[in-house]
This record gives sequence, structure tokens and C-alpha cells, in this order.
Amino acid sequence: MSIRRMAAFLTIAAIAFTACTGTTPSAAPASVAGPSAVTPSVAPSPADEFVVGISWNNYDQPRWACCDGPGIKEVVTAAGGRVIETVAANSNEIQLSNIDGLIAQGMDVLILLAKDPDAMTSKLAELKDLGIPVIGYDRLVDNPDVFYLTFDNQGVGRIMAEVITGLVPKGNYAVIKGHSQDPNADFLRAGMETVLTKFPDIKIPAGCEDYSDNWNTENAKNNMTACLAATNNDIQAVLSENDSMAGGVISALSDVGLRIPVSGQDGDIPALNRVALGTQSVSVWKDSLQLGRVAGALAIQLYEGKALNELVAPDTIAAYAKPPLGSAAVEFQADKNKVWSITLNPNPVLIANLNEPIESGWADGVVGAGKGKAAVCAGVTDTTAVPACG
Amino acid sequence: MTDAAGALSPESQAGTTQLRGFRALEVDLRLFGMVAALVAILVGFGIATGGRFLSPVNLMNLTVQSISVAIIATGMTLIIVSRNIDLSVGSIVGVVGMAQVLLMTQIIPNAIGYEHPATWIIALVAGVLIGGLIGAFPGGIIAYVGVPSFVVTLGGLLAWRGVTFGITQGVTIAPVDPVFRLLGGGPRGSIGGTASWIVGIVICVAVIALLVYNRRRRRQFGFALRPRWAEAALGVVGCAIVLGLIYIANSYLWPPALARQWSQQTGLPIPEGGIQSGIAWPVLVLLAVTLVMTFIATRRRFGRYVFAIGGNPEAAELAGIDTRWTIMKTFILIGLLCGLSAAITAARIDGATLDLGAGYELYVIAACVIGGTSFAGGIGTIPGAVLGALVMAALSYGLSFIGLVGPIQDVVAGIVLVTAVGFDTVNRRRTG
Repeated sequence: MSIRRMAAFLTIAAIAFTACTGTTPSAAPASVAGPSAVTPSVAPSPADEFVVGISWNNYDQPRWACCDGPGIKEVVTAAGGRVIETVAANSNEIQLSNIDGLIAQGMDVLILLAKDPDAMTSKLAELKDLGIPVIGYDRLVDNPDVFYLTFDNQGVGRIMAEVITGLVPKGNYAVIKGHSQDPNADFLRAGMETVLTKFPDIKIPAGCEDYSDNWNTENAKNNMTACLAATNNDIQAVLSENDSMAGGVISALSDVGLRIPVSGQDGDIPALNRVALGTQSVSVWKDSLQLGRVAGALAIQLYEGKALNELVAPDTIAAYAKPPLGSAAVEFQADKNKVWSITLNPNPVLIANLNEPIESGWADGVVGAGKGKAAVCAGVTDTTAVPACG
Repeated sequence: MTDAAGALSPESQAGTTQLRGFRALEVDLRLFGMVAALVAILVGFGIATGGRFLSPVNLMNLTVQSISVAIIATGMTLIIVSRNIDLSVGSIVGVVGMAQVLLMTQIIPNAIGYEHPATWIIALVAGVLIGGLIGAFPGGIIAYVGVPSFVVTLGGLLAWRGVTFGITQGVTIAPVDPVFRLLGGGPRGSIGGTASWIVGIVICVAVIALLVYNRRRRRQFGFALRPRWAEAALGVVGCAIVLGLIYIANSYLWPPALARQWSQQTGLPIPEGGIQSGIAWPVLVLLAVTLVMTFIATRRRFGRYVFAIGGNPEAAELAGIDTRWTIMKTFILIGLLCGLSAAITAARIDGATLDLGAGYELYVIAACVIGGTSFAGGIGTIPGAVLGALVMAALSYGLSFIGLVGPIQDVVAGIVLVTAVGFDTVNRRRTG
């Protein structure tokens, strides 16, 4: 797994050597140019129009296209506004030029998921001068002028650990962590630790806690396989930090005939299907449709001239996503600054509440209208055990 | 041909010389060095873990983990030998893997019914053919339009990943057909003890037959013969290695939980002493690919042409070789191999994700380079590339196994790669 990283340097060096084509190396590796990776060059909108600009970091996960974006659009267009989406294909440079394009098109509010928030510093100062408020969407921007709207990320790890320790209060645990250079991997792990410390009989054997490069399924399977080999299959539960890695973990477990509690995160459809089939215990689901709707509502409030500390999450969102700290903006202490923020609640999906991602339209949004329930319930024979599939 | 041989034979029979000592074995020293390096890495990790690393289950795991990369590396060797490069292999694996799983989960069930016994073979063959078609496209542009392969396949790296995203909007799809899943290895995806011994004996007989055949041919054409003891030694050592590996594979028993599960499902009792795993299906696939690709590279006209082009493109063209068609064929070939590799990867993770095969291009190129393929063209061997993939898998698995996590692992792996290739480069310069 680590060889990939190292080999990446090889290739980038090779790109620099051989090609000299002027391609930005950072845009080259395995990035996906979404539908609008190029800055749209539409004429500026009339001054009186309400325009919300979105700058996505990438389109690599289905959530952006299926849920976050549509959630924002739904609310903004209902209020008579217009949304322009841009995708930066994991590149800071592309993201900066995307934002320039949005400014040129007369954007009133920016919803920003920054590839690297630090690289945005001067652009954010420019936006402040232009009087364009910014909502930091799903990723913290450590800047007092940027609002922080997110799910309780530290809570996700805690919730995973709570569910799994509830099932297996003692024994050997494996912890399959995400990408080593993504701070979220360590946030999640820290959240788990707050629960695990209460269980002295839970052990993590040597070789059973490792990062999986790029949150990749195959790497997660390799890590799980190594852990099983190291412990002679003596593992009673697995904390996997997301669903796509849980897929690899469960494949490794079934290779050796184990069926034990496994956690995950994201509400991926195959993972919800595994919850229905009982091979995965929980998928902590951040309903990004709700996050999108809140972002849309906040954008309207900002357009109406409210200050960051006056923003309020609408009470129309689903009960399971309601901010645990209340609807009003609260101050969040980031590394350097205090930022105003609203934090939505992540929802652990178990067999009992499997109906929620189906009924909210999440499953349909991911796999196509009318097909969501069938995909989640594929292969379920006993519908009394899985009421959501009945 | 017979005339020439006949004319030559009296004279050369008389002058037939026999090599002496170790050289009589005619072992490829570079390849031998690589095997030694691999063994050193394995033993090193074995010592670091008090022998636990060398357990049959670990050896099987790391072998299976190297296979997707090794299969593509056999094709990449020919590409690099002919002075080209293919950066798009990882993305091709992604798009083909996604297509195969989509075929199995949606298209085939809709067409001929759910859990149809032919599902897996249709998906596999379709995937390999799609891979070949995808390979033909950049191959044509490179060979006939003359755009540098680096640029064309860099485009492919981006474009095919985008197509993969487009197929399902980035959604992970699962699961794969139960028969198809055997391609992913693991105890269930292995052929069992008895079948493994049979495979071992067949290989053994083939090795001996090959030695006998080669000796006869050499005599026929009046080439230098190995002394009898050398032939015997090669046969015995070859057979011993093959049977030894089979013995290791067979000493990995199904984990008790899996055996119980199997016993419940089939109603059969668990045999005395457990169920032997034996060779994993993907290992057999790799074995077959290595043999076929080695044969193509060294015994077929196409393979000779590839090396001729790599050695001197102008001379090859002047000699009447259809260099363009040859180059295009190398890309079709690597496309087919990507299709096969995609099947194994998708089977291993039991589904297809957007990042299936991401970064493989780097792994594959590194495997070829470690395996002695020269970027200057004209030099490289298929078994070397396969060994290169094994070396990398052993390093990666071993570092993870001894608990070196994250950044330290990257640093160690980087140093080892550069050291390995550096050592080889110096060695080559010294020996010429």
C-alpha cells in the first residue's frame, strides 16, 4: 500500500522529466474531472439575481451529485435563487480559478468545500473585501469570517464504538483506519478512544490497527488479512472507519469464515445492504441531503444580510439530523480561531432504523429513483427480521 | 533448416563443448539474484517476527496480493521493452472491473436470470474483451498517429477513471457472482489439497520433459550441451521447489470457523486433520499468464519483433518489421491483461469501487523496473516482472505485518525500491 505513495513520486518525477506538457502534476493522479471541472464562462448575471456559488473539492463520492448539491439547489431555487456548481478535481489551482469564475458570474454567497483550506487564505480575504459571505461546507476553514457547517465528525467515531462495544464488550478488536494523511482518520480514531477506554477487557492486538491508503477497499482487505494472520483469526469485532473499507474487511472475514460485528460510515448502498443481511452491524450515516438543505437555508439568511452569529438551522430537516447543540449558531474553537458553526447529528443505521435512509430518499438518490429499496434489500429473505424490507 | 543443421552437425558434434562448474547450469544470474532478494526479504521479516511471518497463510496472502499487479506487469514489460509506457492501466482496471460487476449484478440477471451458472464466464470473457478493445484505442493512436505513449496513456488515466465514475456515478456496486469470487483466492477460492498435488506433479513432469526436449534440440542443432549432472540437478531442484511450494500451500488448512460453516452448508463432516487449501485459483491464473507471456515474448515472432523494436526502432523498421502493428498489438495485449486483472481484483474485494485499480500504473511500472526491465528499451523479462511484483507485495505486507504503520512504511518502502534498482543498475554496468 505504501509503495503506491512512493511510486507516485516516481511518476510525478517522470511527468516532470519526460512530458513537460505544462500539465499541472497535482491534477494528474487519478483525479476525476466532474461535470464542470472547468470554470464555467457564462456572462455575469443581472445584479439583482440571487446567486449561490458552490465550489466542490471533487466529485469522487456519489454524495455530492446525489444529495449535497440537490439539497442546496432545492432550497435556493425555491427561494427564487440560482445555484452554480463547480468541481475542482482535487486541485487547489483549479479550485481557485473556479472561485474566480463564480465571482465573475455575480455570486452572492459561496459554499466552499476546500481541497486545502490553507491554500484559500488570500482568496478568502478577497471574498471578504467583495462582501461575499462564505460557508465552509463539511470541512473546517480556520478563519473567523467563514461559517462552519458540518456533521459531528468526532461524534462518528464515538457512535461507531458505542454500537460495537454494546455488542462485544470484551475481546480482541481490529481497527481499520482511513488514509494516514487525512485528519478525519485520526478524528474518528480519537472519538473511538473516548469509548474504548471504558472497556478494559477490549484489546487491540499487534498488527490489528493500521491506516488504509486512500480509504481504499483493497488496502483495507490487505490490512484485515494481515491482522487475521497475526492473531490466528482470534478477532471478535472490527471498527472500520468507513463503509468502503468495511466491504474489504467483511470480505477478509468471510474468507476465514468469521461473522463478527463490523462498523462503517457513509450509508453506502452496499453497506446498507450488508446491514440488512446482517454482515455489517452499523453504518453511521451522515444524511447529506439534510446538510445541503441547511446550507441552502443559511445561504438565504446570509443573502438577507444576517451576520454569521445570527444564522439558524431550519427546523424542517429530519429529526435524526437535528443539531445536537440546538439550531442556533454556536462558537467552535478551531486551532487558531473561534468560528461560528452549526453541527448536524450523524445517524447510526442499524437493522431497526434501516427504513430511514430508504424513506428519506437517500437510497433512491444514490442508485436512481424507485430502485433504492430494492438495492438495500437485495438478497433479504426474512423480512420479519428486517422490517424495513417488508 | 534440416540441410543447414545437417551440414553443421558433423563439425560441431566434434567441437561440442561442455560448460563446466556452476556455469554448466546456465542459470540466469539476474533472475537468480531476484529470487535470492525475495527470499532474503521473506527471511528478514521472518526473523523480525520470530518466524510467524513465514506461516503458510502469510505466504499465501502476500502471493495473492501481488497477482493483479503481476499479471499486468507481464504486459507492461513488452510495452517498456518497445520504448513505450502505459500509465492508464489502473484506470482500465477500474472501468473494466466496474463493467464486470455491473454485468453480474444487473445486466446478465436481467437478460438470462438471477444466479445463472453462466454469469461468471460471460462477465469474465466480456471484461477481458472490453479490456482488449480499450487497449486497441490508445494503441492505434500511438502506433499510427505517432502521439507519444506517455501523453496518450496519461489521457487514458484521466479519461477512463472518469468513465468509471460515469458508469455508476461513483457508487460502489456489489456483490460478485459466487463462482466469479473464486478468482479472488482465499481458502474457498483455492483448488484443495489433492488437486494441488496433481498440478505439482504435472508441472514437475513438464519441467523434466522440457529439459529432455531441449537437450535433444541442442544435439540436433549442434549446440553446447549441459553435462548430465547439470541436467539432473536442474530437474531435481526444479521439482523439489515446485513440490515444496505445493507442500507449503497444502499445509494451510481452512480456518476452523470456515470449515464448520462449510460442513453446515454441505452436510459433510470435516475431514480428519482439516481441509487443505492448496493453490489459490488466481495463482494458477498468474502461472498460466506467465507461461503464455514468456512463450510469446521469447518464442513467437511478435515477441522477437518487440525486442527488436526496443533495441533499435529504425533498424527494426528497415529490416521490414511492421513496427506500427506490433506496437498496437502490445497495447491490445496489455488491455486484455488489465481485463483479467480487473476480474481478480473485483473478485478479491467482492465488488467494484470507484477507486478500483487506482495507482496500479505505478505499482506495475515499479514491478517491471525492479524486475530488470530497462527504460532504454530492448531489455526485460516476463518472469522478472512477476518477481518484481512479488518483491513489492512482500515488502508491503511484511511492513504492515510487523506493525510499521503509515509514514514510516512509506519511507522504508521508498528506500528499498531505490536500493534494489540501484544495486541492479550498478551490477549491470559492471557485468555489461
